[in-house]
Amino acid sequence: MGEDSERVYGRSANKNSLLKIVILGDGGVGKSCLMSRFISNHFDDHSFHTIGVEFMNKSIEVNGKQYTLQVWDTAGQERFKSLRTPFYRGTDICILAYSVDDRSSFGNIKMWLNEFLHYAGVKNGIERFPFMVVGNKSDVPSREREVSHDQLKQWCADNKIASYIETSAKNDNNVVEAFTMAVQRWIELEQIAEKEMGMLENPDSITLHGNHGTAANIRATCCSRFSEA
Amino acid sequence: MSAGTTTPPSVRRPILNFGRSLNTSSDDTGSSYTGAGNAVGSTAKDYVESLHQNSRATLLYGKNNVRVQPKDVAEPMPGYLSLHQTAAGLIIKWTPNQLMNGYAESEGVDKSLLRCHLVHASACPHKCVLCSMAPVCTVFRRRCLGPLCIDCVYWAMSLQVCVWEVVYVHVHRARGADALILVGQDGVQRPPIHFPKGGHLLSFLSNLETGLLPHGQLDPPLWSQRGAGKVFGRGKGRRRPMPSLCESGETEEAEWEEAAGDYVFRIVNNAIADREAMRHSLLERSVQSPPRTPRLPLASTSTTSSDSSTMSVDCPPSAGLNGHPPPMIPHHPIEQSASIELVCSTMRRQIISRAFYGWLAYCRHLSTVRTHLSGLVHLNIVPRDDTEGGLTEELWRSMTDERGAVADKDEVYRLVYYGGVQHDIRREVWPYLLGYYEFGSTTEERAEQDTANRRQYETTMSDWLCVEAIVRQRDREATAASIARLSEASGRLKPADNTSCEHKDFHFNIQVFEDDCSVISDNPPVVSPEPSEIEQKKPDTKPVLSRAPSIDEVDNIEMDSEDKGKVNGETEMGDNRDVDLDSLKDLDEEEEVHIKSTVENPDMRRESIAEIKRLAEGIVQKGGGRGPLCSVDSANINLNGNDLRSSLDESQPIMPQEIPPPQHTSVIITNPSVDLAASGSPASGGTTANVSPARSPLGVVREESHSAGASFDTLEPSNDPRPENRSNCVSPASSNGGVYSNELVESFALNLHRIEKDVQRCDRNYPFFTDENLDKLRNIMCTYVWEHLEMGYMQGMCDLAAPLLVMMREEAAAHALFARLMHHAQHNFPSGQAMDAHFADMRSLIQILDCELYELMHAHGDYTHFYFCYRWFLLDFKRELLYQDVFAAWELIWASRRVASEHMVLFLALALLETYRDVILANAMDFTDIIKFFNEMAERHDAAAVLSLARDLVLQVQTLIENK
Repeated sequence: MGEDSERVYGRSANKNSLLKIVILGDGGVGKSCLMSRFISNHFDDHSFHTIGVEFMNKSIEVNGKQYTLQVWDTAGQERFKSLRTPFYRGTDICILAYSVDDRSSFGNIKMWLNEFLHYAGVKNGIERFPFMVVGNKSDVPSREREVSHDQLKQWCADNKIASYIETSAKNDNNVVEAFTMAVQRWIELEQIAEKEMGMLENPDSITLHGNHGTAANIRATCCSRFSEA
Repeated sequence: MSAGTTTPPSVRRPILNFGRSLNTSSDDTGSSYTGAGNAVGSTAKDYVESLHQNSRATLLYGKNNVRVQPKDVAEPMPGYLSLHQTAAGLIIKWTPNQLMNGYAESEGVDKSLLRCHLVHASACPHKCVLCSMAPVCTVFRRRCLGPLCIDCVYWAMSLQVCVWEVVYVHVHRARGADALILVGQDGVQRPPIHFPKGGHLLSFLSNLETGLLPHGQLDPPLWSQRGAGKVFGRGKGRRRPMPSLCESGETEEAEWEEAAGDYVFRIVNNAIADREAMRHSLLERSVQSPPRTPRLPLASTSTTSSDSSTMSVDCPPSAGLNGHPPPMIPHHPIEQSASIELVCSTMRRQIISRAFYGWLAYCRHLSTVRTHLSGLVHLNIVPRDDTEGGLTEELWRSMTDERGAVADKDEVYRLVYYGGVQHDIRREVWPYLLGYYEFGSTTEERAEQDTANRRQYETTMSDWLCVEAIVRQRDREATAASIARLSEASGRLKPADNTSCEHKDFHFNIQVFEDDCSVISDNPPVVSPEPSEIEQKKPDTKPVLSRAPSIDEVDNIEMDSEDKGKVNGETEMGDNRDVDLDSLKDLDEEEEVHIKSTVENPDMRRESIAEIKRLAEGIVQKGGGRGPLCSVDSANINLNGNDLRSSLDESQPIMPQEIPPPQHTSVIITNPSVDLAASGSPASGGTTANVSPARSPLGVVREESHSAGASFDTLEPSNDPRPENRSNCVSPASSNGGVYSNELVESFALNLHRIEKDVQRCDRNYPFFTDENLDKLRNIMCTYVWEHLEMGYMQGMCDLAAPLLVMMREEAAAHALFARLMHHAQHNFPSGQAMDAHFADMRSLIQILDCELYELMHAHGDYTHFYFCYRWFLLDFKRELLYQDVFAAWELIWASRRVASEHMVLFLALALLETYRDVILANAMDFTDIIKFFNEMAERHDAAAVLSLARDLVLQVQTLIENK
């Protein structure tokens, strides 16, 4: 209702520090585990598959500022689309998750991306929305790994997504980093949007320039900072 | 009000009528062309174009030849009915065909309707009283009030209604025609809109309902319309007129056609913001069109009854068309000259009659809601006397006669409904509650039923196990391929890694195939593994490609197994070595589905292999323990393979077929048969599955499953030289002729992988679910899904089956109960439409039983769509309550079908909400709060209190309906 109309570009235009994050991805890639690791630093080997939607809040400090993240966890099975998609509206950040030991979950990320783009009403294109690709279960023995980090990198480059990372909810590897990165990406895009608002003439061309530059920068930083570490 | 000329109820005063029609049509349509200038024809065209989809308005619905009878016209005229979504709301328009066809064609005007005379403009002394222009032609209307140009005549007839101005939508269904009457917030009825037969009315209503979202809704909601087009779940057996009205409309046209009757829907506007906006624009309007202003305030003040106030709250005075197309509202001299007194007296009359109509409509609406609710509960109230203890063992025994039959089912249901079942006898009682056992059946009959059921279960299982074998095989290939690809890729990047990669592969494959290897070593006539692989690759139309990945395996097998396999393996390799790397890619794409992580599977399999070995030993020891049943069974299935479906004879000829692999898309299961051939004893004894029935009912199926489980790895039975295990592989294969279509295999593979993922994480914190019991759960799931492949596995099924397995312990029985449970539950899944119905029911219930809470839900981000109840309904509260409580809740749900309500889940949900209503209200929870709240409260509810409250709520609704 009212809130929707305030949301411009499919993401919140106000400077509220409450950020809504949805985690999407195939069933069993570890969405719920990512969430519970992040929120409560707890890993349950025996967690349920999610029915319906769940969400939790957590405060996090990024760049010296407090943000409350509202993390939404969804049901992974394709069939539950009609239940899931209503919650996409008003999302600030979208995390696309797959598991590195499951090639098909990686292959389906595109589907999830498209579903999100369609239902969240992201209008400014992928580059302008903070997407984050997370390859979970990086703890699996390398012989069980089916998706390499290079593939992830390539895919993100092909799909114009600047942030990606491999995590392990089980070993608590890179999970907080993943969320932090996502928020940072959001901040950056937010700043770009602000700048554009300032420059009234011919915002379109500026959009393009500004964006390409940033995307490239970010790609460089995030790889070096987390993934290859 | 802004509708066409035809609305006023009193026709006795032509002048006033005239004034009205003048006023309204000048508001609406008249002005649109006045403003547009002289080109009347072109504005008409503009108008017609405005009926199409355009930038300002979305066309939601359009239908030709909908008949409306405007005032002054003898009989209904056909016209174009359309529904437009505009910035300010929905607009319903009806335009006479004459206008649609354009001014030029108005020569064809039905003279009898208009009694007009046409005069050429040059000669015409009149001006059109509406548009104040000298028209091209002029007609006089029947009740001659002044000249109108032809266009204006039709404009005046056309309807244009802003939906927010409408309070009630009356639907009159008669055999001949469906009529829809819109009643404005001022009580004015618009002329009936007659829809042609054939579901058009329904489709209009459903579009209207959709169009109202998100700011408004039909009340009661038009049932299950959102599931339109879905076929599942129609037969839910709702008998209340309302839903049947709609459901039948969707699914069985005939039924809808028959269902005559009157229904009243209310249009509810939720948006406070909208309301204000509308009040605002109302003010604006009041300045512009004086005669209109007194009406609204008067209407609401003069009618003091509660109904009218509801009306004015629910359906705020609306802007109508003010924000819309007609941009100018011209002032007419005639209007000003109208006698104020006359206007006032008529108005008084109108107000009174409208108040009455409003009240009438409200009453009708209430009764519609009641009818609607009456479908939710049984009308007769079953007394709760002496049911405190529920169904105790003592009572149960006393109700059981000497032959083991329980006859008094009503009493059982009543006891269970009010008091639950004592835990010790749940296993006995549940099959009755779920309708698996018949009341009145004797112990013997039930035993027979169980046996038959178990046999059926095993047969089904052997069918899918066989397909699973193929799936596993494909998975291995795919995994091998993708790993090869990975290592290839990394090899390309860093050549140095090569060796280690190979090493990895090697390892991996050894793991996967060690079973095969053992088979090989155990079975001298060892052609087995390789041919099977060849065979299984046949399904792919590109044999070369598909075969490629097997190289790794073949390689490894070679290394591990004795030389026997080598001949084949090597030839294969020779053929394909060069092709494979390139083809891997294609293969990957083709078989993406199968590439799922098979990694966990080998492990799992290995466990069950160990199990089998153990079992096999057990069998050997207990050898004599096999009952007669067993032997019959094994003979049976054995022969099964032969005579029932396609025979061993058939599969045998195919066996030695390392030879020319037929290139089609079916999978031929030669694997088992090869195996059989290898063992050299085709006649050899029954499947392990066959062995099992002989054993004690409890233990049997479990072990059976494992042994059968073993068979998916086809080659595993390995160490056990006895023929039983080996032929196990045959029987499933041959039972379907050994040929499965590729689609079947793929679809099952997809389901299998999903099932395994979910089973692995189902109720792991509940001690019952050891790996062994999870395996049973998996088998139940697979069997059910195999039987319902078109439905497929859906998340949540595991949860529903788990408590049944916990209770019944035995697979086949749990499966039988699960199938019964799913009979109801399947409609809740996304493929059915019961969920929407539940949400709608919840809305009505809470609206009636706790309007304070309802208002809060409305006001705080409107979560009256009740999505947060989704999991409750899907899993029958399984995740909301602890296991013990789930048992009790389920019993309540099952028993209530016979005692109090088909939809007990609704009342449980309501009870949960009501339990926390004060918390919800005090914290003014919004949608996210409530989701969070209930997710956190899961498994912490006071179940006994909730169940008891749910029963009370049922009683409350029953009483409410009775009192009508």
